[in-house]
Amino acid sequence: MKESGKALAHPLLMVLVLAAHAAMLLVILPMGNFAEWVKLACAVLTMDFIGSIVLQLVQRQACTVDTVLLLVLGMSTIYQSCFGGLEFAWKHYLFGLIAFLACQVSYLVVRNPYRAERLKPLWYTLFGILLLSILLLTGSRGIWIDLGFITIQPSEFVKPIFVLICASSMQTQLKKSSVLGIHFVPDNLGLILCTVLIAAVQWWCRDLGSLPTFAAVALVGLYLRFFYLREKFSMRLVVFLGICGIAACIAAWKLAPAYVQERLHSDIWSDMTGSGYQQVKGLVAIAEGGWFGKGAGAGSLHSVAASNTDLIFASICEEWGLFSAVMAVILVLFMPAAGLTVPPRSYYHAGLTVGVAAVFIVQMTLNIFGSCNLIPFTGVTVPFLSQGGSSMLSCGILAGFLKAAQAPQFTIPVKKGGKPNGGAA
Amino acid sequence: MDITITEWFTQYPALREGLTAFAVIFVDLCALAILLAAKRERNHSDRHWAKETHGLMLQSGEEYYPLGSAEILIGRHPAADIRLDDPEISRFHALLTFSNGQWHIEDVSSGNGIKVNGACLTKSRVLRNQDVIAIGKRRMRVVRGDGKDVRS
Amino acid sequence: MAEQRKRPAQAKSSAKASTPPKTSRKPKAESAPPLWITAPRSMQRAYHVISLLIALFAIALVYLAYTLITESRYYVAKAGKTTYGYVYDRKGDVLFDGTQPLDSYPAGQFADIGSLIGDTSGQMTNTLVSTHLDDLANYSFLYGNNGNPAEIRTTLSHAANRKVFDALGQKRGSVIAYNWKTGELLVCVSKPCVDIAEGYANLAQMPSGSLLCKPFYPIVPGSTQKVSTVLAAYEAIGVGTVNATEYACSGSWLNAKGQKINCHEKSGHGRQTLAEAFENSCNPYFAQLVQSDALPLSRIVETFTRMGYSVNGEAAAAYDLDGIRIAPASLTLKDADDFDTQWSCLGQGDTLISPYQLMLWQGAIANGSGKAVLPYLVSETVDSQGNVTEANGVQYTQQMFTAEAAQAVQKVMYDNAEAHYYVSLSDFTCGVKSGTAQVTDNGKAYENSLLVGFCLDAQTPIAFCIVIEERVSGELSTAQLAKVLLNTLAEM
Repeated sequence: MKESGKALAHPLLMVLVLAAHAAMLLVILPMGNFAEWVKLACAVLTMDFIGSIVLQLVQRQACTVDTVLLLVLGMSTIYQSCFGGLEFAWKHYLFGLIAFLACQVSYLVVRNPYRAERLKPLWYTLFGILLLSILLLTGSRGIWIDLGFITIQPSEFVKPIFVLICASSMQTQLKKSSVLGIHFVPDNLGLILCTVLIAAVQWWCRDLGSLPTFAAVALVGLYLRFFYLREKFSMRLVVFLGICGIAACIAAWKLAPAYVQERLHSDIWSDMTGSGYQQVKGLVAIAEGGWFGKGAGAGSLHSVAASNTDLIFASICEEWGLFSAVMAVILVLFMPAAGLTVPPRSYYHAGLTVGVAAVFIVQMTLNIFGSCNLIPFTGVTVPFLSQGGSSMLSCGILAGFLKAAQAPQFTIPVKKGGKPNGGAA
Repeated sequence: MDITITEWFTQYPALREGLTAFAVIFVDLCALAILLAAKRERNHSDRHWAKETHGLMLQSGEEYYPLGSAEILIGRHPAADIRLDDPEISRFHALLTFSNGQWHIEDVSSGNGIKVNGACLTKSRVLRNQDVIAIGKRRMRVVRGDGKDVRS
Repeated sequence: MAEQRKRPAQAKSSAKASTPPKTSRKPKAESAPPLWITAPRSMQRAYHVISLLIALFAIALVYLAYTLITESRYYVAKAGKTTYGYVYDRKGDVLFDGTQPLDSYPAGQFADIGSLIGDTSGQMTNTLVSTHLDDLANYSFLYGNNGNPAEIRTTLSHAANRKVFDALGQKRGSVIAYNWKTGELLVCVSKPCVDIAEGYANLAQMPSGSLLCKPFYPIVPGSTQKVSTVLAAYEAIGVGTVNATEYACSGSWLNAKGQKINCHEKSGHGRQTLAEAFENSCNPYFAQLVQSDALPLSRIVETFTRMGYSVNGEAAAAYDLDGIRIAPASLTLKDADDFDTQWSCLGQGDTLISPYQLMLWQGAIANGSGKAVLPYLVSETVDSQGNVTEANGVQYTQQMFTAEAAQAVQKVMYDNAEAHYYVSLSDFTCGVKSGTAQVTDNGKAYENSLLVGFCLDAQTPIAFCIVIEERVSGELSTAQLAKVLLNTLAEM
């Protein structure tokens, strides 16, 4: 049996990540603007170095998520810097770096499932504070808090908190309360309440784009909880829930506000300069890019609004080709897929992994398929690829949860007298 | 440079495709390496877990029950992680938890009781190798999961 | 991520997710320490959820890539971000060239088919090119805009078009003809016609109708409508009875409501059979036929609906000629005793039929089956990678009228041609019906001369419709034009 720290090909992986970034940098070297190229190259390679050093310090058990994260962050920085000519996207780079550090911090916070579970009151409090800030600070039904020098989107930070609330341990599920003869698990009640609250707030401030994300997280969270202790795989319950879900979708469809209705029913090709403008430009850009793209910096999509956030898939397709864009998406997909190779060792971490997978996959679905006109177009971001401070940071925190499930720690804080509390007395 | 990349690429489209393919190949290689590393990490995670939990598992007669996660539910319920089909056992009877390098057993039943080494369990206690847990009529022994201990 | 299955050998027996509970047989004594790593079942639910999410996303991603690749040509064509290829006639003559400016072609090269073939300028929307932009785009996902020029090969005969166009001289008009056996559209002339090589700079000076391909737009049919009325009568009353029915014409006739229907022959035709009335194109005869109790109006409506008329505003399907839309014929039939209804059955009033549809009916009469072979224009398309898509084979319309009625009308029309057109059409086995449509346009009243017909010769199985606008007596007749048309097509 090998020592736990030595078992991994960690340095070799970092060298490969470095090589991939270097290859991409070499490819964009002929773009000209050498000064910007040097800035970009230094920045990306520095991030790789910082990354590998931080990883050595934080933990050495599981490095899949971090390696993928570093690879994707470097790639997306290069992509973002190339759109419409080489110019170092320092903002994207900075937030990427912050996201990477946030990943490590959130890993340290939740790597112990017992502690993360015991901190649940804190998560509920933070959830409440964020909801209040959406209601009170964003102005007239907006989703942005403008601090003058920077704008924050609090609903992005609700996502990791919501995932923390969704996960639950077996011990919590076995604690039942009883009021007036009705037995219930307080934690489940809390989750349902939070789901209703966030849905109401999202509806109120017209941020329907991230509603499916929360709905998906709540759904998988509730699925895991209610099916922990169920007799068998109950077909009737599944059918019932399915019917409820479809009914909810139909109701939402019918009751959706006018501007959503318009998006659901509009044909972008008959309104190429109006509401379909972005999507048309995006689809044409994908078509013009073909398999291998027009070449870095040779695209024209950068003149379209939100080309580096909502239309990120089309932007990458145009300059780097469909092949690279799909590859980038698959790499992001690697992160939640890490939970398939190294199984989580506790229910709380299992819940976190599933929740993060739901957030990442639903967000990517909404963005990519929305911008390609297969589903209604909403303004959500692709994790780590799209530009955006709040979303980048919250995705970094979510990646930390994934990592926590890969390299957990099972200690219970010891009280005075040297006896562990919690499960053991 | 007095020639822009756009002109370059329109002159030599194959060059452009080749360059992009070059970058993509490196990224793909990296992805492949990550996949291989993930596989290694899986084995490593298993070993690490076995080491961390001292390879403890439960033995009942010829049957061995592995302890694969930090929370193991024992009971009559089909959803329990260790299912013991005995009317005297509650649907959810006992919960094994792992913390601070030790396994703990906790009684979560509605009062049918657990005996560890013959003594009634009041709330919870630490499990050690060769402890005997009695749940209903079933007796389960805590054994070390390495080859030597299992054989004896 | 198939790693889940590849576990160390010792744990394999317990790895099967479906065998509860998680037990294991005694491990082999000599083996390395067993790794008790099997995740409990509740943990595997998380595994299943993630697998499901990733699998669904992967499937959707594959579908997306497929959609993008197959529809990319449509995107670039719709956005005008590509060059276009060629349209050829049946002999390989260029009808449209998107690879270079059209003014490099000799002036008038496209003057005869400009409004049918159209171009990529977006000025005309109901043309072959504008409805086939994505077929004509030189774009492919693999090669981008660097592939070979795309091609559309049509069934048209540019030479025949040119001859007919030139024969029209200074007159405005339209000629459409197709092979009623195979469905190939051979001639489709519309005059005046924009010359796409010259562009649209002097759009304001162009005569009205230059941007329309007239054979596809409904016009007043005049007496050619009587063919439809005869078909309805044959179906409702029976061929023998109708042929034996005689009505008198004294130059004009008062209907049940006392309204007067005039005949073009002021002195009247006297008592006539149907065949005679058809040859004389006698309005009073057909008005009496429509009013007669033997021919209920409901039966006329029924036949006309089957033939594709929009009767009394009821919706009728538009025809589609390889993407080009052709509005259906329309007329109003309210009361068999009323002047308006009778007048509609004579091809005046608010009756409107496109030359295309008149030609289609001739096709159904010529083959004697009551259902026509649908005309088509595109014989094959070749995309920029050289993939060839050929046109579907012969396709029939629905049964528009009975075969019996079709054959009877064929004979009546044949007799009509024998009696009146033995000079101009003597070389061909033809059936025809002429018509004169009184049209008022912007306060100016004039007459259009029409001729519908078919040719039964094995060499020229042609159904056609010819319209000469504002024809005055002594000028080029429709029959002369028909002769030019048939002669040209016979030489092909």
